[in-house]
Amino acid sequence: MVGLRHARAVVLREYGEPVCIERLSLLPPGPGEVLVRIAASGVCHTDLHVATGDLPLPLPMVLGHEGAGVVEAVGEGVTTPAVGQRVVVSWMPSCGECFWCRGGRPDLCERAAHAAARGILPGGGTRWRDAGGEPVHQFSAAGTMAEAAVVPAACALPLPGDMPATSAALLGCSVLTGTGAALRTGRVQPGERVAVFGAGGVGLQAIQGARIAGASQIIAIDRLPERRDLAMRLGATDVVDPLDADPVVAVVDLTEGRGADCTIEAVGTPETIAAAFNAARRGGRSVVVGVCPPEVDVAINAFALPSQGKTLTGCWYGESDPARDLPQLVEHYRAGRLLLDELVTRRFPLEEAQAAFAAMMAGQVARAILVP
Amino acid sequence: MPVFADRDQLYRVLGAFFETLPDGPHGPLIHRVGGPILFVFHRPEARILWEPLAGGPPEFAVHYDTEQPEPLLRFEQDADLAHRFWQGDLDLQDALARQQIRARGPLARAMKLIPQLDPVYGAYRAFLQADGAAPA
Ligand SMILES: NC(=O)c1ccc[n+]([C@@H]2O[C@H](COP(=O)([O-])OP(=O)(O)OC[C@H]3O[C@@H](n4cnc5c(N)ncnc54)[C@H](O)[C@@H]3O)[C@@H](O)[C@H]2O)c1
Ligand SMILES: [Zn+2]
Ligand SMILES: [Zn+2]
Repeated sequence: MVGLRHARAVVLREYGEPVCIERLSLLPPGPGEVLVRIAASGVCHTDLHVATGDLPLPLPMVLGHEGAGVVEAVGEGVTTPAVGQRVVVSWMPSCGECFWCRGGRPDLCERAAHAAARGILPGGGTRWRDAGGEPVHQFSAAGTMAEAAVVPAACALPLPGDMPATSAALLGCSVLTGTGAALRTGRVQPGERVAVFGAGGVGLQAIQGARIAGASQIIAIDRLPERRDLAMRLGATDVVDPLDADPVVAVVDLTEGRGADCTIEAVGTPETIAAAFNAARRGGRSVVVGVCPPEVDVAINAFALPSQGKTLTGCWYGESDPARDLPQLVEHYRAGRLLLDELVTRRFPLEEAQAAFAAMMAGQVARAILVP
Repeated sequence: MPVFADRDQLYRVLGAFFETLPDGPHGPLIHRVGGPILFVFHRPEARILWEPLAGGPPEFAVHYDTEQPEPLLRFEQDADLAHRFWQGDLDLQDALARQQIRARGPLARAMKLIPQLDPVYGAYRAFLQADGAAPA
């Protein structure tokens, strides 16, 4: 029997307001759920989108969806993971049964989308209660910016090996998302030329994914010099400052006048989405990872559709099946192909979540990490 | 680095070249487009307007920094790209498809001109060769 537990968590009470740290009650995990003691949680720009109201979700809400920790308790019927197991938390609580799951696309799962939009667990509600006994939602069935989280057992992915929790946390969103955008959605092939718009937490992983895929040229476009430097360290061959040159012109010039075989947008503005599409070569692919507010449209040239024959698409979570893809990423990490430890340059206590957002925005970190 | 360091340099080079057109052989062709043509440049930010004149030559006037509210045609582009276009080094259809040039207005009227622009490209290249005209 597991009793009531208390945990501090980063809670958003109002869009556009600073987040607050609250001591909440956490009910025991329900059937098919586990309680994870969180050791580290990355700060993703999507958390900030929620905080600003650009990605409006039910409030109050515990933020965070890029975490790693240790299983502290399991609910009824859970055989794996076991108590004591180190895990990475997935933010895609796919059901395995819907049309999309059966078709091999758990990233598009109906149940997961339903739970995420409502800020609840697939089993209904969340286990968080505030001081007044009111339920508190959790972001994408994860809510990892906390000392602990109750998540679906299937979203607590066993973490092989002894990698540091701070590096493991990155796997939970930015790594799966960024590498998946290059390897799966973008289908980057050896020798191809890739352009990545936005070299932040996710874009840097897209760069690593493109390098792992064997791209011969990786062009990183970012307006912050710090991020361009990081991009070069992680595998970019060229960098472009969009304030200095029209990035579309720059990418076309750097690719023998053709445009990149594959472009990946990891900023989340209509301008950069159009630019990424425009910078792909005729017959090329363009993958949108960046998230815009729900009311935003993107304008692209209509004649370009027939005349340039490109594929414009996007993905959640790098089109990942986290249980399938995580072990492979750990292999890449162990073999030194996926650099993670060097990206963790600054840890913040939960109390400094707001400062961590600011550090992300200023490009002072590759990824800000909260350590409860 | 952008080809034109600042707006003044863009006006001194591309603007000065534009000013050779109203009295030249292509003046009447441009006049026949039938309305003001606005060029909006970025990196550096600049604006040049061609305003048709009656009873030319000169066939049109070249205005700088104008706020013409409704030109017949409006072309928005990076100054670097304009520099390339006027040298004949740009595939216009590709540049429009990639939104490197954004055109507003009855584009067909301007497109009629394109096949006849070859000598103008040559003239711009020659203009750039001339002393002091080429951007840094
Ligand atoms: N689709 C998904 O599953 C998924 C997952 C995670 C994040 N995201 C989204 O991806 C985007 C990036 O997230 P992140 O965590 O990497 O954010 P981040 O803040 O770490 O990185 C964004 C980067 O874009 C750069 N940038 C901003 N404006 C730019 C411009 N005009 N041109 C070039 N670069 C510019 C910034 O300097 C920064 O380096 C966000 O919109 C986020 O919501 C999507
Ligand atoms: Zn994320
Ligand atoms: Zn499903």
